[in-house]
Amino acid sequence: MSVVVEYIAKGSFVHRLNPLTKLFWSVTLMTLSFFFRDPRMLAGLFFSIVAVAYMAGILKEMWPAFKGLLIVAGLFILFQIFFIADGKTILVLIPGIQIGHVKGIGRITDQGLWGCLAMGARMMVIAASFPVLMGTTKIKDLVVVLVEKLKIPYTYAFMFVTSLRFIPTLMQEMDQIMQAQCSRGHRLDEQNFFKKFLSLCPLAIPLIVTSVKKAERLAISMETRGFGIGARTYLYRNDFRPIDIMVNIALTFILATGLFLNLKGIIG
Amino acid sequence: MISVNNLSFKYPSGVEVLNDISFTIPKGAFVALIGQNGAGKTTLLKQFNSLLRPTTGRVLIAGIDTSSATTGKLAQKVGFLFQNPDHQIFMANVEREIGFGPKNLGLSKTEVRQRVARAAAAVGLTPYLTENPLFLSKGQRQRVAFASVLAMKPEILVLDEPTTGQDYQEGLEIMEMVKELNEQGHTIVFVTHDMELVARYAKRVIVLSQGRILLDDSCHNVFYQPAILRETNLFPPQIAKLIQKFAKQPFEFGKPLSVDEAYQEFLKYTESEPDVCCS
Repeated sequence: MSVVVEYIAKGSFVHRLNPLTKLFWSVTLMTLSFFFRDPRMLAGLFFSIVAVAYMAGILKEMWPAFKGLLIVAGLFILFQIFFIADGKTILVLIPGIQIGHVKGIGRITDQGLWGCLAMGARMMVIAASFPVLMGTTKIKDLVVVLVEKLKIPYTYAFMFVTSLRFIPTLMQEMDQIMQAQCSRGHRLDEQNFFKKFLSLCPLAIPLIVTSVKKAERLAISMETRGFGIGARTYLYRNDFRPIDIMVNIALTFILATGLFLNLKGIIG
Repeated sequence: MISVNNLSFKYPSGVEVLNDISFTIPKGAFVALIGQNGAGKTTLLKQFNSLLRPTTGRVLIAGIDTSSATTGKLAQKVGFLFQNPDHQIFMANVEREIGFGPKNLGLSKTEVRQRVARAAAAVGLTPYLTENPLFLSKGQRQRVAFASVLAMKPEILVLDEPTTGQDYQEGLEIMEMVKELNEQGHTIVFVTHDMELVARYAKRVIVLSQGRILLDDSCHNVFYQPAILRETNLFPPQIAKLIQKFAKQPFEFGKPLSVDEAYQEFLKYTESEPDVCCS
């Protein structure tokens, strides 16, 4: 779980890029993935992400996330593929049965297969760049560029970062709560759906209550440390270096050519 | 009775917290577990009701091997009071909160009601039974949590810093209750950083340091070994420190741990050397 948001300290050149450059990389990939319809092109985009993760030296840590995405995409394709009826039939799971005017159960068409593969690959591209971005960028650096360069109000940037920061804390808290309730003889292995739902209350309520209290305490301690009294300065600066400019130009070029060729219909 | 045999425990992250620990706690014992932060006290306590299970070695609770029993099952034998009461409070009033455990044990309605009433009375919460526990003070919430353990009437009571958030008087009241339970035959194991409490209530002290047992003895013997205690950042109660300063040779004044005991020792000493006061 936590692999998605955790920073992995390595000294690669991807790590040293400006967070904004990496953000732009992520946006480029997303934009292209929305325009491309050919699953081969989308798969190419996905492998470019894997390549970047490899260059950053975090492929090993990213692998569970990528594998999870592959499984989700696989399931997605499996559920969707039988419901697209347009196009030529290429495979029928159970042939010979006529239901209405449809022949056979579990029909896979060429358009269905192509479309589903594209959807699956698109989802993977969109979802895979984010963990790589987070894995190579310290959250506080991200906040600084969001606020200084993109002019996002500090409060919102801080909110975004804090919510990421609290995921592991809340998971720990949940663990403590489960231990406390189990010690009181609470059972979590109910079979009945309704009972299962009810059995979540002893866990959910303390979690919500402690979270709200924690948020309140956080607000107070932030105010006592001068949060929100006006313009602030930053200890760490993230300036653009020549390599950032180069990477950004390359990304712009890739984005422009990709879109141009796509709109001209030369690539899918 | 608790029997721990060659217990070692590693967290999945690979950190070894407990290292080859063995001891037995007989039924009816009153044991304090002390040691500096990170010594493994809470980790050891969690072994007693199977919240954590040994990596190697065995923990037996009343003959039940914890590695094959669930926490829910052991809840009948072992009551566990956690440091933070907010991790367990979820009912809309104190009465139902205290009754949650006994209900889980499958007791009848009248039995549950009786136990809740008795537990609430024991911790002085009877006037608050219809209040929402979330609006009580931290100290009172800790008492709610304590009552909810008491109501389950476990043979063994495991208390992780039961007096946190209580003022001095409230802390003593809680410990007096624990003492009473001990006199009724319950086995008590508690963790605390308050050495005065240990000296006053515990009959046996286990000192943990870096996952090992440093000392396991009576209060008097443990607190009169200041050199070993200092190794793990523990300091004996003030009266023991004072007596050790006065004594020219070890144990000249015995091993008193309270003002009364020290007074008796002094009396004995002055009787044996009558002219000491007059010189």
